[in-house]
Amino acid sequence: MAKTLEHTPLTDPSLSGLRSLLAYSDMLRNFVRKDIQVRYQGAALGFLWSLINPLVMIGLYVFVFSVVFKSNLPNYPLYLMAGLLHWNLFSQITGQSCDTLLANAGLVKKIYFPRLLVPISSVVFNVVLWLLAIALLFILYPFLGGKLHPVLVVYPVVLLFFLAFTFGITLILSVLNVLFRDLKHLVDVVLLFLFWVTPIVYQYHRIPPHLRQLFAVSPLVDYVLIFRGILYSGQLPSWHILAMAVAWTVASLTVGLFVFNRYADSLVERL
Amino acid sequence: MRSLPDEVVQVEHVSKEFILHHNRVDSLKGKLVGLFKDRWRTRHEHFHALSDVSFTVRRGEAIGLMGRNGSGKSTLLQVIAGILKPTSGRVITRGRVAPLIELGVGFHPELTGEENVYLNASLYGFRNKDVRGRFDDIVEFSELAHFIDTPVKNYSSGMYMRLAFAIAVHLEPDILLADEILAVGDAAFQEKCHDKIASLRRNGMSIVLVSHNEQQVRDFCNSFVRLDGGRVVETGIFRTKTAHTR
Repeated sequence: MAKTLEHTPLTDPSLSGLRSLLAYSDMLRNFVRKDIQVRYQGAALGFLWSLINPLVMIGLYVFVFSVVFKSNLPNYPLYLMAGLLHWNLFSQITGQSCDTLLANAGLVKKIYFPRLLVPISSVVFNVVLWLLAIALLFILYPFLGGKLHPVLVVYPVVLLFFLAFTFGITLILSVLNVLFRDLKHLVDVVLLFLFWVTPIVYQYHRIPPHLRQLFAVSPLVDYVLIFRGILYSGQLPSWHILAMAVAWTVASLTVGLFVFNRYADSLVERL
Repeated sequence: MRSLPDEVVQVEHVSKEFILHHNRVDSLKGKLVGLFKDRWRTRHEHFHALSDVSFTVRRGEAIGLMGRNGSGKSTLLQVIAGILKPTSGRVITRGRVAPLIELGVGFHPELTGEENVYLNASLYGFRNKDVRGRFDDIVEFSELAHFIDTPVKNYSSGMYMRLAFAIAVHLEPDILLADEILAVGDAAFQEKCHDKIASLRRNGMSIVLVSHNEQQVRDFCNSFVRLDGGRVVETGIFRTKTAHTR
């Protein structure tokens, strides 16, 4: 089989797995940089636009829920942001994931590179835009009433699990959308539905107890409860919520990678 | 010199079958209606684009894939490039493969020439630091030094092709897969392309050139494979090796 030259034979299709992904890390970098550059080309505020949307959303929800509905929650803006920012991350990545393979069809049909790089670059692109928003949360954290709890140290780990979960969903959707081109419209509707059945702007225990079992099926509920536990309450939720979140992540990533690896090559013919 | 086995491309009994979707429906609604209504259902037909194709390309050899439109030559090139997986058989390639199936794939019109050089090269698996070392050569070859920091949307089609070609030949491929493209630009620039390819071949680069133009194949290649209906119908060697004696 193929041998390694003084340069790795990078476009060698027989090279597979993690090694070839690492070899293409500069492609990922160039790709994400291109997407960001193109997106904010000529925009006076540039990168800052990625902040304006979440800030307006937060402002509106704070107004509606603490002024109009008079929520009795202390530090409601922090309560809201802890859930909403992570929801935004999820919905932006999954909302865009349907289009990734189709949008890059010209490339995928003309050059061989590890196909996994297409969804990975879409995820990284959205994470980079999102970093500004989460950085702002941490800067404002003490002013919003946040305390430096020791549990904050597990935040990066939980975030990684959450991203892995989202990535798995992305893989599944990007493949399915090639087969069913109207999937993205369905995804938009499902995302809208999920937003309101996830306790982001309201409290979990406001859900009537007999419906709570139904809501608890959603992995987003688990993750929002964990993120809010870390950033707002200063304690992790019960172990079975943690276990469910891990289980969802493992399931999503396993199914996603399986589906993608199984179908990515033959999808080229259907793009 | 690199120590590589002499056979850089081995195509072994490759067959490629496409499923043609007549009346293809790619929507959920269509699929659902198709369960009940015949008219909405997709009809599938198996189409053999390649049947039992075998040949070998040796180091430094240039082979022309000839045949009429639809004979399977471009499909074969995509299989060698790893873009399509063969239905049966296998392809072994040794070394760096540069598919020139279309020039300027992955160029983004809003990015400058320089940014596109790095982007395009990285699509072929190049590290940015390796491209940096070749960047000046690429720009010099393309004769675009004055325009390299302007967006490629402002380039003429000739400039665009020159940059794309310059990138491809400076990635020092071991195997160049070309679909009709081996020279771009005006007569003088084409001459330069030919010289560059000749010098790369002297250093051991192999070429697989797809063309329906017999003269082009004669100019560049020392052997050929003729396809018809996805089968190899003729193979041969050209007596006069024009490419070497230029």
